[in-house]
Order: sequence, then structure tokens, then C-alpha cells
Amino acid sequence: MWKFTSLLVAFISLYGCCTADTSESAHLLVSKRVLNEYVVEGRDLTVSYAIYNVGSSPATSVSLVEETFNSDDFEIVSGQLSVRWQSIAPGANVSHNIILKPLRSGVFNITAAMVTYQPSEDAEQQVVYSTAFGETYVMDSKTFNRKHAPHVLDWGIFGLMTIPTIFLPYAIWYSTHSKYDGSKAKKL
Amino acid sequence: MSKNKKLTKEEELLLQDFGRNVSTKSSLLFYCNAFFVSAVPLWLFWRVHEMDPQDSVILFSVMTLICTWFISYAYKNIKFQLKHKIALKIEHAVTREVNHQLDSKPETKKLTRQEKDERILWKKNNVADMEATTYSIFYNNTLFLFLMLIMSFYVARSFNPGVNYVMSTAAASGFVALLSTSSSATS
Repeated sequence: MWKFTSLLVAFISLYGCCTADTSESAHLLVSKRVLNEYVVEGRDLTVSYAIYNVGSSPATSVSLVEETFNSDDFEIVSGQLSVRWQSIAPGANVSHNIILKPLRSGVFNITAAMVTYQPSEDAEQQVVYSTAFGETYVMDSKTFNRKHAPHVLDWGIFGLMTIPTIFLPYAIWYSTHSKYDGSKAKKL
Repeated sequence: MSKNKKLTKEEELLLQDFGRNVSTKSSLLFYCNAFFVSAVPLWLFWRVHEMDPQDSVILFSVMTLICTWFISYAYKNIKFQLKHKIALKIEHAVTREVNHQLDSKPETKKLTRQEKDERILWKKNNVADMEATTYSIFYNNTLFLFLMLIMSFYVARSFNPGVNYVMSTAAASGFVALLSTSSSATS
């Protein structure tokens, strides 16, 4: 999936560069990535946007709008779903991160974010869509904890439980055994 | 022939001491220990395997009781096997200790040989009983917990937690009980 996205970005970049050479306007490429290895219910999910201007003139009135994450399924922890930049210089890039918290588990279709910008002073406003990562499985917290949480405290308590079940009988047995051990008895 | 069949009181006591049947006190100790060790996996299945205790209360109760029965059965078998061996091993040391104690006190120094032997036998039985009981609990608990961990975190880890719990505890306790029936289990 990531390879495909990278290829797509590279292809669009190449296309953008070629067209940029022939016209004096801005061309924006937008990538949208999830930085988490696992998307888990109730745990922070970081989404990162990067906007590259591969054109030969600055892009003005740049606006990024994210409409994929509705408030019923995702809580915004940090960042904004709509953000504006006055201009992005040619060859420059800007990035934006938002942190969300998935409120329930399941499969969600995470589509592209929309970016609008003005390629040149007298041009019409352009719309460009970011890369999208499609259907994403939000793991439920129980499954995640079962598979990935270290449970250090839980294992520690389990270790304590083995004291009365294993070590205490052993200690009692050993104290009696060492007292009446045949090899020691001969030395008496 | 009928004379041979009739057992003396001492012989009956001896049979009771070295027989397979355990006393009520010992039996209670075994059941309490077995119940406790059978309940230990509940912690792991609740906290690590994320099973809901309220939803699984029936499953937990039934399997804990089954495990308790299997483990206490194993305790009794291992204790029975060990007690004879331990009694033989400690005989010399116990005889020396009891003789030493009896000879050190003037009121017990002049006891008859038979009385001394009775005291040695009583002491030997107590020590062997204690050692066999504690070792049986230690051995079976360790084996049960080890097998349960192997089953639940390696063999059956890909199964649903409920199935994993039943498989792990049933297999571990069943195997412990099965091993205890072997005559060379602790040799």
C-alpha cells in the first residue's frame, strides 16, 4: 500500500515537474500519511499532511480541508481539520499534523483530504486531493492489549502469586529435607 | 488363616499412615492448595488475555473446579508414591535423632526397645508425611503452571481467549493428573 502511494506521489511529482516547466504556475502535491503502526480504538492516531509546491510560481490562498474524520467516530485531540496558508513558495513544502482518537473499532474508509489553491494571480482556484489510504482497520483496544501490551504489572502480580503456590511449599519441603538428608545425617 | 486376616491396632495405624487414603486434614490442605493454584490462571486470562470476568464467570467457575479436582488427585498420588521412598531415606537420620533425644533425658532413657521403636516410627511417619505433602504440592503446582503457560501463550495463543482458557487449563491439569498415575513420576 505504501509502495503504491510512493509510486503515485513520484508519478504525480514527475508529471507536475514536466507541466511546471511549460507554464508559469504553482502545482501542489499533497500527501497524507498515518504515522502510527497500529490504529487502535481509544489511542492517539497521528495523521500527517505534506504539501509540496512543484510549480514555478507561488501558490496562494492555500486551504486544506479534511472531511474524512467525522466527530461520531473520531475525537480531535490536537490540531485542526481545516487549515490555511497564505502562500507556498515554488520548491517549498509545508506540513500539518493532527492527532485524533478513534472512538470505536472497525473498518473505516479514510479517503483523501482536499486542498484548494490559486496557482497564479489571475488564475482560477484549483482543487487537488491528497493521497488516501482507503479502508483502514481500527483495532479494538482489547485485541491490541492482548497482542501488543507488555503487561509488566500483571506479570509481576502473577509472579507474586507463585510465591504461596510454588516457593512456599518448596521452602517447607527444603527445610525438612535438609534436616533429615541422608548424606548430612551420616556426618552427625 | 482367619488369624492372619485380623489386623492389630498398630497394623491398622500403620496402614492408615502409609496407605493411599489421606486424612481429612491432609485432604482439606490439598483441596485448598489445588483450588488456589487453579484460580491463578484466572488472573492471566483476565488481565493479559483480556477476558471479561463477568461474562465468563460460569466458564471460570466450572474450569476452576475441574482443575481443583484433577490437581488434588495428582497431589494424593504423588504424595503416596513419595512417602514410602522418603520414609526409607530418612529412617537412619530419624532413628539417630530420636535415640539422641530419648537418651538425653533421664525420664525417657529407660524406655523399652518397643516404645523407642514406636516413637521412631511415629516421628518417621510425620516427617515423611510432611516432606511428601509439601513436595507433592510444589511439584504439581509447578508442573501445572508451567504447562498452562506453555499452552496459553504458545500452543493455543491464536485461539479465542475462552477456547484458549478451556484448552490450557484442561490440558495442564489433565496432564498433571495423568503424570501422577505413572509409577515413575517422581523417581
